[in-house]
Parts: sequence; structure tokens; C-alpha cells
Amino acid sequence: MTGMRRCAVLLAIALVPATRVGAQDDVRAQLLARGAPTAFADRVAQIVGAAAAEDLPIEPIVTKALEGWAKHARVPPDRVVTVLERLAVQLRTGRDVTVAAGVDPAPAVVAAAAEALGRGVPAADVQAVMRAAPSAEGAATGLTVAASLTAQGLGTDAATKAVRDAYMAGRPASDILEFPSVVAGLVAGGVPMSDVARRILEEGGLPLPSEPGRGLGRGRPSGIPAGRGPPDEPPGKGKGMGPPTEPPGKGKPSAP
Amino acid sequence: MSEREGYSQEVQRFLDEEPDAQLTERARVDAERFREALARYASSLPVPGRELDAAVMSVVGARPLGGVRGLVRWLFRPRPVLLRPVLIAAGLVATTALGWWLGQQGGSPPVPGALIAEAPTVLVRFELRAPEAVQVALSGSFTGWDSEGVALSKNAQTGVWSVTVPLPLGEHEYSFVIDGQRWIPDPKAHAQVDDGFGQTNSVIVVGPRGVVRS
Repeated sequence: MTGMRRCAVLLAIALVPATRVGAQDDVRAQLLARGAPTAFADRVAQIVGAAAAEDLPIEPIVTKALEGWAKHARVPPDRVVTVLERLAVQLRTGRDVTVAAGVDPAPAVVAAAAEALGRGVPAADVQAVMRAAPSAEGAATGLTVAASLTAQGLGTDAATKAVRDAYMAGRPASDILEFPSVVAGLVAGGVPMSDVARRILEEGGLPLPSEPGRGLGRGRPSGIPAGRGPPDEPPGKGKGMGPPTEPPGKGKPSAP
Repeated sequence: MSEREGYSQEVQRFLDEEPDAQLTERARVDAERFREALARYASSLPVPGRELDAAVMSVVGARPLGGVRGLVRWLFRPRPVLLRPVLIAAGLVATTALGWWLGQQGGSPPVPGALIAEAPTVLVRFELRAPEAVQVALSGSFTGWDSEGVALSKNAQTGVWSVTVPLPLGEHEYSFVIDGQRWIPDPKAHAQVDDGFGQTNSVIVVGPRGVVRS
């Protein structure tokens, strides 16, 4: 046996267990460091390990476990475990839907698909968004936005159509990330959610803040690009915060 | 043994101890003499021990077998392997490095909050009116759901707590934690969703132009 072959054998033996054990150990260590009981940390590590063995994305499970433990004063560990097991099932369904759509089941896409399905977006609409997206990253962004729009109260048909139409019109993922703010701005401006849905379904989609003549109602961005203004001053009072989307004096900071 | 070597078929049959071999007197004498010579030669040969069996079987066993049987035999047959410690060390170092690298690749956050890996952060301001609170913190997917979270500062005149944090583009779930115990959603968030634990998380989606809330 040559030296190279020996190294290859060692790598093959050690490689897969190393990555899986790493993910399990990581979440276990994080939970123990936060004071979680060993039995709970072990059970969570077991669920994460099983998900990793199935090539499911583990980050949503880890994040949910940390959230569950952070709220442990109100949430018993058994309930956290049940939620994690349900999430693993949801991720498995997300992967199946992704594969059935003929899309690469990258972790971000599967996680976003599971999230959209969990918020009530039908599988067919999830697949339609995936197919309309120009890339896996775009599919993940589109699904996340569709899920958020649904949670905002927009119907799933309008939520997914807004994303699909935007991608088919050649808009980038960064534009699509603006949609929840656009909808919030319209609602803040007094537009009923049913009218927002009608605009999407019948009038060709959502406007963007930079589009002339298509204001967002009363709302304006409360976030500012990092480094372009003092972080501790409320929106509307800082200098150099970027161009306002409405004429001066008419915009209203969204923060109270 | 054959006639070409000087023995008749009858002598050969006699030496083979066939019962019907008929020899002349002279041929019988020759045959007896030849048999005695053979016996002497045979007794001079060394007697093979067990090591011969082992040697023969090792050669037979090492013969390559084709197909599935050969593969099975190759897989299950124990064999000594020579390894240099330096190669073992190199292999373990390479394994650890590769495992770490794969962990970085496969373990890159697939959560919706970090969908655009190289996305810039956007400063987002969070506010909550809670005049009676002694302490308010912000905890969410972007803080790893640390119960201590990010502390908000209170405006004593208005009773409004606030903080501005840099967030990457994408969706984020969060809650306010009042006095380290009460988890309450942000009424100004884009949406409120069930957290699965019987409570509510707030959702915002951060775009490149910031966040508009109702």
C-alpha cells in the first residue's frame, strides 16, 4: 500500500463521522454553555445528528433549539424537543418539494421552502417561485419573502405572484427583499391589504421605493445603510441618511 | 515408465501390482531389482512436515479470484498493514482540516436571515414603549436567541426604549425581553408568527433600502 493510498483510506474512514459529530457536538456545547440539562442537550444533539445524516439543513433546528432554551422559563424541554422533531419533518417535506421541482436542494432553499410551507404557502406555489428564480440563492430569497408577505396578511396567491412576476421581469433578489417594507408602507398609508393584493394580482406587481410616482404611503425606511448615519439618532433626524422616498415634510418615520 | 525406458509392458504391470501380470523368470528378477531400487530411493527422500501444507495453502489462497467472490475475499481477509507514523499524523491533520472546511461549507447559515452571504448590513432601529420596565433587551435569530440579547436604552421622558443594530439583509425573527422574563413581540414588526412554543415572534425583512414598518 503506498503512502497516498494509506492517507486516502484514513480520510475515507474519518471524514464523514467528523463532520456529523461536529454539528452535534456544537449544538450540545452551546446548550450546555447556556445551562441546559445534559439530557436535553443530548436529545437535541441526537435530532441534529439525525437531520445531518439525512442531509437536511441543520441550522434552522439549531436556531430553534437555542430559541426554545432561551424561553425555557415558559417552555418545558419536552415541548422544545417536539417542536424540533416537527421542524425536521417540515424540512424533509421542504426538501422533497424542492427535489420534485427539479431544483438543487441547497440548504438555504430547503430551509426557505420549509418555512414557506409552514406558513401555509401551497407546495405548487413554492415550486413555481423556485422555478421563476434565476438561481438557488434567488429561490431562497423569493420563498422567504413570499412567506413573510403571507405572514403579513397577503394571500398566498398574491404573495407568490409578486415574487414570481418580479423574477420574470428580471428584477434582482435585492428588489424582492424590499417587498415586505413596500407592503408595510402601503398599509401604513391607509391602503387595505385586499387592495394591495388586487394591485399585485391585477395591476402588475408591487412598486419599489425608487420608482418615480409610486410612493409608499406614509411609511419610510427606518433602517439606514451601515456607516451612513449615527446609529443612535432616530430615523429622519440623522444627517446623510440617504435619499428620502417622499418629498420633505410628508414622510413619517415608522418608529414611534 | 514405458518400454522406451527399457521395461516391457508386462514389467510395468507387475510394478503397478496388477494381479494378472505374467512375467518370465528373467523379467521377474529385473522387476524385483527395480522395485527394490525404487524403495531405496523413496526412503532417502525427506518426509514433508506441516510447514509444507501451510506453504502450499498460502500460495493457493493467494491466487486471485475473479468477480464478487474475489472482492469479498479481499475485503474480509485480515492482512498486516505497514504504516509510517508520519503518514498517520499527516492523514489526521488533513482529515481535521478537510472536516473543518466542509463544516464551514455545509454549516454556512441556511437560515432565511442570512440568505445573501455577502450582503451588507443595514442599521435598523428598534423601539418599544414600556415606561414601567426596568430592563428591556432585544433577542432574536440575529443574536442567536441569547436571553440577555441586546440591551435597549430608555428615554426617561417618553418611556420609550430603543436600540439601533446592524442587521444583514434578509428575514429575522425576534422578540423583546422585558426584565429578563417576559417575551413580547414588536407591535411595529412586518408580521407576527407563531413560534411553535405557544408564543409569538416578530418578523422583519431587511432590504437594501432599510425597513418600513406600519
